Amino acid sequence: MTLSLSVPDILVARAKSGDLDALEALYRAFETPVYNLARRICRTSEDAEDVLQETFLEVVKSIRQYRGEGHLWGWVRQIAASKALMRLRSEKLRATDELVDEAAGSPPASVAVGIDLERAFEQLSETSRAVVWLHDVEGFTHEEIAERMGRTVSFSKSQLARAHARLKRLLSPAVD
Amino acid sequence: MHCTIEDLVALRDGEGSVWARRHVEECAACQAERERLYQRVAQLKALPALRPPRDRWTAIRDQVVAERSRVRRRWLRGSLAIAAALGGLMILRPTGPKLAYGDDLAQEKQQSAQLETALRNYDSDSRVMSGREADLTAQLEDQIASLDGRLTQLDSLQGSAQLVDLWRQRVDLMQQLVQVHVTRAKYVGL
Repeated sequence: MTLSLSVPDILVARAKSGDLDALEALYRAFETPVYNLARRICRTSEDAEDVLQETFLEVVKSIRQYRGEGHLWGWVRQIAASKALMRLRSEKLRATDELVDEAAGSPPASVAVGIDLERAFEQLSETSRAVVWLHDVEGFTHEEIAERMGRTVSFSKSQLARAHARLKRLLSPAVD
Repeated sequence: MHCTIEDLVALRDGEGSVWARRHVEECAACQAERERLYQRVAQLKALPALRPPRDRWTAIRDQVVAERSRVRRRWLRGSLAIAAALGGLMILRPTGPKLAYGDDLAQEKQQSAQLETALRNYDSDSRVMSGREADLTAQLEDQIASLDGRLTQLDSLQGSAQLVDLWRQRVDLMQQLVQVHVTRAKYVGL
């Protein structure tokens, strides 16, 4: 995913003053990466859209607190990740997620092997997807992920390893 | 014995054990597995961006405008309460000839209060507005807030023509504001 995410300082300053046009420009700049992050983690597109909306409401509310340290996208991304993970937690999906993961020692007969990466990724549990996406793609540390998930660092690490083991199995060519 | 996927992920993150690091240097199978891990992550990063199916900005904007209106109204009510308290104090003071416009002033204030009550009945915060309506509402509320600021300053001049004129302007703006809500309520059948 290659997107230009640089935002002029003057636009940020206007957004901080509450200018709705500037806030809309920020929304236009970041709607796709925020939605993409949320959609890779959440089960449905509706959930991801809700995360997108909640993220920008938080951006509007809190942008005055953004001190200009680091890229604005980094700040927005932190909010988006928190909102997406909060949604996972609030829906109490973790318990069922873990059951799915435990059962994933070998792929069920109905799950095809040798499929493409995007489909294989979608077959991971939400928790695993969240850890893989946030750590391997967005660059979050295990400490950051653990904190946002309300879990331990070792939980995040083991989820990542198990997710890669499962991806490897799903991507292996089918044996006749 | 080969490295597990956990070993390889840990090595990639700079955390692997000494044994795993040495083993990978010597084992072609583990090197190939490590390469496949790198490739998978590179491919994940290269997946096409998923775009939102619908534009959510209008909904976000409406919520932001509604929240700002709520804050303004809270401020407005506070200002009015102060103005009313000051007005009440001034009525108790002997004013003499300055009361020439006293009846007009009382009438405008009463009309303004009635419009405030009518506006509250529409409870605009809980209903959806179009962007244009939201804009118009915000503008009217800004003008009313500005007028209230001047009214608070001038309320000591009971009975002056200037004060009556300002209250008339306020009634006019309030009527426009109520009209926006009446029109919208008719349109959506509320």
